[in-house]
Amino acid sequence: MGGFIKGSQEIIISPVENTYSGIYKSIGREIQRILGFQARINSLLQNVDFAFDPNRNQYHSTAILEKLADTAPLQAIKVIAITNVDLFIPILTHVYGEAQLGGKACIVSTHRLQENLTPMNIESGFEERMLKEAIHELGHTFNLRHCRDKSCIMHYCRPKIRPALSIL
Amino acid sequence: MIETKILIVDDEHIMRESLAGWLERDGHAIDTVASGEAALEKLKDTLYDILLVDIKMEGMSGLDVLKYVKENDPDVAVVMITAYGSISTAIEAMKNGAYDYLLKPFDPDELGIIIEKIIRDQARIRENVYLKSQVKDRTRFESMIGQSRPMQEIFDLIMDVAPRNSTVLITGETGTGKGLAAKAIHTNSPRCEGPFVVVNCGAIPEHLMESELFGHQKGAFTDAKETKKGRLEISHGGTLFLDEIGEISMRMQIDLLRVLEDRVFYRVGGTQPLKSDFRVIAASNRNLEDAIKEGIFREDFYYRLNVISFIMPPLRERKEDIPLLAEHFLRRFSQETNKPIDHINREAMDEMMLYEWPGNVRELENAIERAVVVSKSRHILPEDLPIFKPEHRISTPQNSLKEIEKAHITQILNENEWNVSKSSKILGIDRSTLYSKIKRYSINK
Repeated sequence: MGGFIKGSQEIIISPVENTYSGIYKSIGREIQRILGFQARINSLLQNVDFAFDPNRNQYHSTAILEKLADTAPLQAIKVIAITNVDLFIPILTHVYGEAQLGGKACIVSTHRLQENLTPMNIESGFEERMLKEAIHELGHTFNLRHCRDKSCIMHYCRPKIRPALSIL
Repeated sequence: MIETKILIVDDEHIMRESLAGWLERDGHAIDTVASGEAALEKLKDTLYDILLVDIKMEGMSGLDVLKYVKENDPDVAVVMITAYGSISTAIEAMKNGAYDYLLKPFDPDELGIIIEKIIRDQARIRENVYLKSQVKDRTRFESMIGQSRPMQEIFDLIMDVAPRNSTVLITGETGTGKGLAAKAIHTNSPRCEGPFVVVNCGAIPEHLMESELFGHQKGAFTDAKETKKGRLEISHGGTLFLDEIGEISMRMQIDLLRVLEDRVFYRVGGTQPLKSDFRVIAASNRNLEDAIKEGIFREDFYYRLNVISFIMPPLRERKEDIPLLAEHFLRRFSQETNKPIDHINREAMDEMMLYEWPGNVRELENAIERAVVVSKSRHILPEDLPIFKPEHRISTPQNSLKEIEKAHITQILNENEWNVSKSSKILGIDRSTLYSKIKRYSINK
């Protein structure tokens, strides 16, 4: 990841209908530490009602990504939306997040990330999952695909367990 | 890592694209088509590992696509996609060879698990095919035996050239073990886990050679009832061994030269350029430089093959290996025939040491096999080796090696009433080599 030209480019963290405000700074620090870019919090979308599907009672993540990429400021190299709504793509029941492969925008939902956490580790476990999911989806926007190396952040672990937990 | 190629067949644009995007992020190479008819067109030119097919489509149904795939390329895994309510059709698809089915919309982990399982199963199938061929070839590979200096030099050379990716040309008389040397190079190379694909250029008729090497599309010619991969395609990741390269036609030399230069080729009747990553080892018992002078072998093709070359020594130049080889073959054939034969008696061994062995190690192997079959005692005796009767002793120092070979072949053919199969077995050479020698030496009935 050290090869990117960073300059004044930044990654925007865009909260969308979210209640987990404390997590944004942590994600920003991870972005700086792992990807080497400055991160800035800037809410680009007021709401995501346009992506709501009443039949499924879920939000179409691909539609959100398109709008997010359109509204992102020029100096933003990437933009990551953090939301608490339940996301889907038409062929799948749900997604934890989605990214434009090699594109500008990605999104992570907190909606299902608390699944299977115990009361003992719910706080630390949830934050750890969020940070890894955020960096994982940002990795896709840098055209990285899933990796078979279990120690890589781009590894996709099935089922239930989210991306394995180490640094690139 | 080799990418898994997946074709998505679905007439709903949004379903197709959302699935393609998801699988692309998972690291697969994805193509999409909107109908069964378009899928069939794609399948004519592109090889896929997995097809994800919607059952209910306008025009050709998913079940029709499944039927076509299972008839033409049964190795491709087909996963059916269906809406809730048409599950009975999905079960019917399973009965017709579908790998699995998914109910729309499906859990992302469910899809991922099926894809991973298919990849693992396909890798296991490839590995099984490879291991089976390894077991089959193992006996032959073990036959590459020799303590003599010429053989020790060959072993050193094989270990030197094996790790490199260069083309190798092995020359030497028939039966000297050129094929075993090629296999040894492959086994000791970084490509050893890939396939070792043999093409006997002398045994395949010219009109079949093109399809054999490059493969063909279904319907490319009258007998092309299904699409077939050629040997070049099968050897991807491994080694392509072109045996008896001196027998290949001038036209095929041009085609092969082109492939060796850019590694791109087309199946017969195909329009899709195919790439394959293989190392070439060629072998010939013919002197290719003479063949160039005779105008039957292309000079540019020769230099393309002759990057590294070595000559397998004939058995008469390493006679000290005869006892070792003979004992090895005796052990093998006595085990195979379940006959308790302990050893070769001194006189029989002396006879073998005196003989010139024009058919080299293969002739020795066949002689021992025959002796084991006819032997009536616990030892191999001279009379078990009829080839060493006085009339077979043809070593006359005044004659050239070619004259000796011609005389020996003529004699064996006459004794066996020109039965080529029988004669080639006795001589320890294959039929195509015998035919080419009959032609070359102008031997007539």
